[in-house]
Amino acid sequence: MTATADTPLTRATPRPQPATAPAGRNREQLVSWAFLAPFLIAFALFLVWPLAHGLYLSFTNQSLTGAGGSWVGLDNYREALTDSTMWRALGTTVLFTVVSTIPLVLIALVMALLVHRGLPGQWLWRLSFFMPFLLASTVVSQIWVWIFNPDIGAANAVLGKIGIGPIAWLQDPDVNLYAIVIATVWWTVGFNFLLYLAALQNIPDQHYEAAALDGAGPWRQLWSITLPQLVPATVLIVMLQILASLKLFDQAYQMLIGLSTDTTRPIVQYIFESGFVGYRFGYSAAISYVFFALIVIVGVFQVTAMNRRRSMS
Amino acid sequence: MAGRSPTMLSRRGLLTGAAAIGGTAALSGGLSACGTAAVANPDTLQFWTLLSGGDGGTMADMLAKVTGSGAAYDVKTTTLVWGEPYYTKLAMAATGGRPPDVAIMHASRVPGYAPGGLLDTWDIDRLAELGVSEDTFPEEIWKKGMMGEKLFAVALDAHPTVMMFNTDICDKAGVLESDGKLRATTSPDEFVDLLEQLGGQTKGGHPLSYGYLGDGAQMFRLFYTFYTQHGATMKFPEGGEAEIDDDIAIESLELMQRLLDGKLTAQRSDYASAIAEFATERSAMLFTGVWELRTMVSTGMSFDMAAIPTLYGTPSTFADSHAFVLPHQNEPDERRRDLTYQFVADLLKGSYDWATAGHIPAYLPVTESADYAKLTPQSHYAEVAQQVSYEPEAWFTGSASNFQSEFGAAIQPALMTGKDAAAAVDAFRARVNRLLKTTNPVDPDGTWKP
Amino acid sequence: MRSRQARSPGQKRFGIGRVVAFAVLALMAIGWLMPFLWAIATAFKTEEDAASDRSWIGSEGPTTDAFGAMLSNGNVWIWAFNSLWTSLVITLLTVAISALAAYAFSRMRFTGRRWLFAVIVAAIIIPPQVLIIPLFYEMLAFNMVDTPWGLMLPQIVAPAMVFILKQFFDGVPVELEDAARVDGAGRLRVFWSIVLPLSRPVMAAVAIFVFIGAWNNFLWPFLVINDTNLMTLPIGLQTVIDAHGIQYAQTMAQAVLAATPLIVVFLFFQRQIVKGVATTGFGGR
Repeated sequence: MTATADTPLTRATPRPQPATAPAGRNREQLVSWAFLAPFLIAFALFLVWPLAHGLYLSFTNQSLTGAGGSWVGLDNYREALTDSTMWRALGTTVLFTVVSTIPLVLIALVMALLVHRGLPGQWLWRLSFFMPFLLASTVVSQIWVWIFNPDIGAANAVLGKIGIGPIAWLQDPDVNLYAIVIATVWWTVGFNFLLYLAALQNIPDQHYEAAALDGAGPWRQLWSITLPQLVPATVLIVMLQILASLKLFDQAYQMLIGLSTDTTRPIVQYIFESGFVGYRFGYSAAISYVFFALIVIVGVFQVTAMNRRRSMS
Repeated sequence: MAGRSPTMLSRRGLLTGAAAIGGTAALSGGLSACGTAAVANPDTLQFWTLLSGGDGGTMADMLAKVTGSGAAYDVKTTTLVWGEPYYTKLAMAATGGRPPDVAIMHASRVPGYAPGGLLDTWDIDRLAELGVSEDTFPEEIWKKGMMGEKLFAVALDAHPTVMMFNTDICDKAGVLESDGKLRATTSPDEFVDLLEQLGGQTKGGHPLSYGYLGDGAQMFRLFYTFYTQHGATMKFPEGGEAEIDDDIAIESLELMQRLLDGKLTAQRSDYASAIAEFATERSAMLFTGVWELRTMVSTGMSFDMAAIPTLYGTPSTFADSHAFVLPHQNEPDERRRDLTYQFVADLLKGSYDWATAGHIPAYLPVTESADYAKLTPQSHYAEVAQQVSYEPEAWFTGSASNFQSEFGAAIQPALMTGKDAAAAVDAFRARVNRLLKTTNPVDPDGTWKP
Repeated sequence: MRSRQARSPGQKRFGIGRVVAFAVLALMAIGWLMPFLWAIATAFKTEEDAASDRSWIGSEGPTTDAFGAMLSNGNVWIWAFNSLWTSLVITLLTVAISALAAYAFSRMRFTGRRWLFAVIVAAIIIPPQVLIIPLFYEMLAFNMVDTPWGLMLPQIVAPAMVFILKQFFDGVPVELEDAARVDGAGRLRVFWSIVLPLSRPVMAAVAIFVFIGAWNNFLWPFLVINDTNLMTLPIGLQTVIDAHGIQYAQTMAQAVLAATPLIVVFLFFQRQIVKGVATTGFGGR
């Protein structure tokens, strides 16, 4: 696990506690809770309570306007499971996750491998690739809506020169999900790039020295040392990326505002729309839990897969 | 537009304005109790709109006029992004935040708002005192603001979908009458013939521009125009089944497909591209909303406008109205309410200017004036105000509503491929029925009565 | 500029491989910078050029009109100010409460410690998007919709940061603290004067990440703030529009300006941020 020694997941287990005299036990308890209190209060108020209350709301017909609130049992869930829009939204979310995760990991890897070769201009490479990550989704959306403008946008201008298009990037339902993918890759690939870069820096030099003594060229080294050493980092990056992609909302929503999004509506947007556009808090809460279940399943699956890998190696 | 700061001018304005409001204003505590304090701080009404582009600019000018001289109020406008974000924010403001004193909504959205108690009603008598009443509006337009016996929305305009045509191209193609009007067409065949005749003159473009990709509203506007021209209606009874005439719906959709054959009209075009095609004189004709008038005027091209021809016997055009509503306030300040009534009445009376943005003012004294008759091309489509068809009424319909995107989702594949109109209508019906089965979220227990 | 990275032996300084790598890298960097450069180019055009002229510099030459028009709109300043102060408060509160809790988990013995920590770690997986409905409902009940507190408070709970900080504290030798405690220093004092100075880098990493997240946050502020005077920059730019219509040059000027502060921060704190990404991998979107 050397490659990710810097990342929190692989830190050593907690060291032993300092010995405490039994007499100080009660005091220690008190002090502990005093340290914990601010966080725990916020945690309870803004995470645990909403989580529980959301579950309750999902069994009611509560409306944003304050109307309703009667218990409706499983009606919302029954509706959700037969709601083709919800299934389409889930499908869109999964499709986006697959289509975005692949380039977001591969391009980040290529960027990191190239930058790690130590070519001149390190700060410039890092700035170029990571800078978009610092932008607000609003800014990213505005820039790409402008680039994807079907008439006067840069994308069609460039493609037009090689005889392609014009493409209605955001309006054409066959294309717009990929337009969102392009913008997203541009926006967030820098984060994965930096994770890979950190992982690369943690590969001990001895490995390469040994390989060089054996006469292995750069390509051999890449395939026999670098890439295998990056496997743990890749697992982590893929995991984080999948969880992040599943939460797609900000840029998709903002880039497609005012356009029909039937084929590009991610599940989080459907939660938002049911609750805040359709005012159906109860139903929206139910979909939230369907989405949450998906996240938990993916998360548990990932952790299990990782543990199995770890126990095997 | 930023809030205007209190000035000497508006100070004087308040005095004159207060006198104008007369008895009603005097009743309110604030003014009669400490007049001087009130004068020092002229009330700034919070006004929310979703008007951007030419509309926004025109509204800003109108506001400057009504607050300019002798007004008892000042107005701070907040312009939010058109469509879904606006309606979300407005509902949330009326629920939990601080609602504005007055807001503009599409009249078609009122049925989705009023039942939740999100809107306060307009006092019809109070409006009448200010010269705003049922007989100063076209019947359909006034009625659209009513739910039951109560008035929830006062329309500023009707903004239908219309036809623009490039007079140079049409002239060359020989389809203009001697009075400059487009040759009348009364059936789909005649209309297609007209387009084909225009085709010879539109090199590099199409006879007709119409963009719809990703835009459910745009699809519904044209579809519903053709549908209602059959004399048919759609009804969406809550909890029931959608009443849609399948044959008529299919025929209307097939006409759209026939137009979108790639020759008469680009088969896959979005709203902006269609506007651009017409504005750069690559096409002879454009189906669009009246609000694009400004865009075309600014190009300097020669064009005219008219109602979309009646192709199925009954004159009808899809339209919506920008309407003034009172977002619900728990404890409305009566004095501010009075000023709000005054403000709305002032804007209506000054809505001649609104016509410059293309819209047909709803206030009859304006459209019946001699000045308006001279206004071109506005007067060429003014008759549309008498034949408007609003979206079928339901809590889920209206401009920028879920319904429109559902319609778009069901219909768009058929428009893009030119196939399976019947299947598309089926899909549309299924989606509407699903919405009808859903309980009205602003009134989930079904207890609201107008 | 020479790189800090160790290069594998056997790699030639000017091999053909390096040239190719450099070319590929340069192309990618240009590709990545291009959208932003195009936004900047548009921002310096007149509106007419922006809408019609696709060259880098419009036919009417560069102008700062768009920036001027945007900055004369008082809203932008209010939003930027709101973004700045709310992000700072969120960062301060998040780091403070997370660090205290993390320290307790790392160093102290109390009933339910393991169990509680497990709950907090498990909570990392909860997507904030799942909570928007009940949180909004709660804010209605607290009368916090459309207030800065309603905007900020729900953002200060960051279980991932507690986890990261606890892992870090676990790695700090405990002996120093023990010595101080033998001298009679209380926990808080030890934490303040010994642990915090030692953890400055990780605190900075966490703080920078929380700040970036808060500065750019969209969904929650979008839901909870309706009053234009309380909006943050992303929300204001997205929901409030100039009544005079879509103006591309101005929109891009806004985008560029909204992006500038964080890019400047990056240029100054590049090393900390790069390291911060490695330590706070969880901050990802």
